[in-house]
Amino acid sequence: MGKMWVIATNTFREALRKKTLYILLVVALVAIGTSRFFSFLAAQDELKMIKDVSFATIEFFGAILAIFTAMGGVSGEIEKKTIYTLLAKPITRKNFIIGKFLGQSMVILLNAILISLFFIGLLISKKAVPDMEIYKSLLLIYIELLMIGAISLAVATFATDAFNIILSFFLFITGNLSVYFKQVIERTENIIFKGLGYMLYNIIPNYENFNIRDQVVVGVNVSWQYVGQTILYGVMYIVIAVLVGIYFFQKREV
Amino acid sequence: MPLLKVTGLSKVFQLGRNKTVTALNNVNFEVEDGEIFGILGPNGSGKTTCLKLLLGILFPTEGSISIMGKNQFDVEAKSRIGFLPENPYYYEYLCGTEVLNFYGRLFGMPKGLIKERTEYLLKLVNLQDAGKLALRHYSKGMLERIGLASSLINDPKILILDEPTTGLDPIGCKETRDLLVRLKEMGKTILLSSHFLSEVERVCSRIAIFHRGNLLTTGSLSSLLNQYGADNLEDLFVKSIEKYDVELESGKPVAATD
Ligand SMILES: Nc1ncnc2c1ncn2[C@@H]1O[C@H](COP(=O)(O)OP(=O)(O)OP(=O)(O)O)[C@@H](O)[C@H]1O
Ligand SMILES: [Mg+2]
Repeated sequence: MGKMWVIATNTFREALRKKTLYILLVVALVAIGTSRFFSFLAAQDELKMIKDVSFATIEFFGAILAIFTAMGGVSGEIEKKTIYTLLAKPITRKNFIIGKFLGQSMVILLNAILISLFFIGLLISKKAVPDMEIYKSLLLIYIELLMIGAISLAVATFATDAFNIILSFFLFITGNLSVYFKQVIERTENIIFKGLGYMLYNIIPNYENFNIRDQVVVGVNVSWQYVGQTILYGVMYIVIAVLVGIYFFQKREV
Repeated sequence: MPLLKVTGLSKVFQLGRNKTVTALNNVNFEVEDGEIFGILGPNGSGKTTCLKLLLGILFPTEGSISIMGKNQFDVEAKSRIGFLPENPYYYEYLCGTEVLNFYGRLFGMPKGLIKERTEYLLKLVNLQDAGKLALRHYSKGMLERIGLASSLINDPKILILDEPTTGLDPIGCKETRDLLVRLKEMGKTILLSSHFLSEVERVCSRIAIFHRGNLLTTGSLSSLLNQYGADNLEDLFVKSIEKYDVELESGKPVAATD
């Protein structure tokens, strides 16, 4: 644990000293802060709008931060060649990747929790005390963000940044539309395309599972069982992604 | 038993589908405990590749490496090695003290010891006033100095330095040279790659000359001067390389096998 933790805290410290985190934070807070203005335009219930915009903001800006932090964590070290000094130290490549994952996860969570606090503060200031459903939704978004980061980390161990960005955003979008994707597959007649479709459906991270905000916004309760199962799915996906990252990084020449 | 032993080491880089570069070709050498081993060779001759292989940064295409009886990926062997890469690459958002602290922690050193070593090393490389300065504000020579300091944080048994004096001012070069001699007196073993022949001449007990990925020859300066009928190290350097190229053209190059 010791040396992984050294890598993790250094990754965290690097993120705190870069501007990316703060810029994303400010933009996210502005988006949430002005959401009441949108409700005015959309002639919608203000609280509903605040919730809608806040969940979307935490997810979207969190995803951007997750992708860029993960990518910078591995390919940044390779590009700047600081990796030479690390690999010469008594730390295994496996522990390096796990340390990177822990560090980026701290950054991702810090960002998401700060925006969430602002969101909750805003709700409280509107005399709308947040209920458990809101926390469930936030919790699922956090797990989704850790998953996005883990996938970008894995991809960074074998692919270029450009490929990583494209793939990560592609997965982010398709993963969020997986319900529609499934419908398309179900309607497909061709058995081969259907099979391939199902395979793809199962491989692509199902981010849509983590989205319970439609229910939250209209006040439908989501069971803890569903929350637990979804978290389990996310954790499994994260473990596999980190293992893939370790596998490729162990073979990687820098 | 030699402290470090390289056997049949080759490294072939795959550049494209059918394009390869042989950066290192069947290299054999040994480094004994307590010596300063100089690695010479023209640009692109394979010096850096060889050092990266020793540190497990690159993987050999063929051959093996033994460091204190362990292989190059062994965590225990690595904890006794200090490394200064070719160009000092450091975390620019960290300050000098933080870099040393970070590396010290990667070696699993206790806090108090890291603090003590940090103060000592910053003074040793003349950066005691720049300890709190972020590395992105360091000059080229200052980066080289902090690199040297961080390669010493763990008080290593083996020190691997890839061109440690490139970018240093004349005083810095002399100080580094004196430091190497002092480290040797303290019982350290040093592998030093360098283009500064006078530096190598003054500090190294044995020399290896690389050319086109081949290890042309190894030995003490005097024995090599004898072998090639050379007057000084520069003459030796040129002669050994010319000899190899002539033999290569006539189709029978013979590289040393130590
Ligand atoms: N990652 C790599 N991919 C492809 N070729 C490489 C790679 N690294 C080194 N080479 C090639 O291997 C050869 C040896 O390079 P190396 O860096 O070891 O030389 P060097 O002796 O350290 O040179 P210098 O004195 O300029 O530092 C060169 O032809 C170089 O182009
Ligand atoms: Mg070199």
